[in-house]
Amino acid sequence: MLIKQNNKKGGEKVISVYWFIILFLVAGAIVYMVGSFYGKPYDVRQIEADLLASKASKCVSYAGYLNEEILEPQFLENFPESCAITFKGAEERYSLKLNLTNLSSGERLFETEKGNINLKFSCGLKGENLPFCLERSFYVIDKNNNQYRADILSIVGRA
Amino acid sequence: MKMLRKGKRGDTDILIQNVIFIVLNIAYGFILLFFVFTKTGDAAVLEEKYAKQIALLIDSAEPGMSIHLNMEDAIDVAEKKNIPVNEIVKITENTVTVKLENGQGHSYFFFNNIEATANFDTLTKKEYYFVISEK
Repeated sequence: MLIKQNNKKGGEKVISVYWFIILFLVAGAIVYMVGSFYGKPYDVRQIEADLLASKASKCVSYAGYLNEEILEPQFLENFPESCAITFKGAEERYSLKLNLTNLSSGERLFETEKGNINLKFSCGLKGENLPFCLERSFYVIDKNNNQYRADILSIVGRA
Repeated sequence: MKMLRKGKRGDTDILIQNVIFIVLNIAYGFILLFFVFTKTGDAAVLEEKYAKQIALLIDSAEPGMSIHLNMEDAIDVAEKKNIPVNEIVKITENTVTVKLENGQGHSYFFFNNIEATANFDTLTKKEYYFVISEK
């Protein structure tokens, strides 16, 4: 720590001042790092968006075939409850968009969007507090081998 | 570390100084470690962690499932803070609330439209299990 023979006492005092400064700096850095790590909420939006998209895709297709119930008008009226999804009590945090296109005719069979529709305007922007957006597309056939394409956009905002 | 050219008295003084210095440094290190460990096991941190974990478990569950979750650390904290262990997790409507100390606890929403109940496992006394059924 100290190798000094001249004016030893004064030298030790100077060293101890520096030592205290180092101790304070180390303690300050640790407190800052712990505070910044544990002060932020756990961000689970990506997992939530993934689960939301998975739940919607299970609703559209089951065992590789189109769930034909989704073509009935009641399905759209009750969406997303018809897919066992509810945003009741947290509508402002979630958004789910579902499109289904018949690939043979090119006709869009339906397009529905529920939850907070304003969240989609933040998709593509970068920022920690912006909603997380997840897009998924997949192909599905019905029992008559007609081909369809489903597009899902699930968005989860900050809690 | 030190160059000694003193008699016995001086040697003892330097030895005591060094011992005090080392002891103080060790104490300082322990205080910092204690701070880090208390922060990681903090009730508020655990409340948030478990509320979100349970909400995600429920979101990924299907009716008919029963999910067991080890919450030993949270149960220990709740016992220390005199919170009844069977009241740590509550599920009302589509919100999970975890409470480990006096206050509101931490709540998190789940979107899966199913019926979920939270039960304290009285056999292991360190787990909660969640029964998922259709609404």
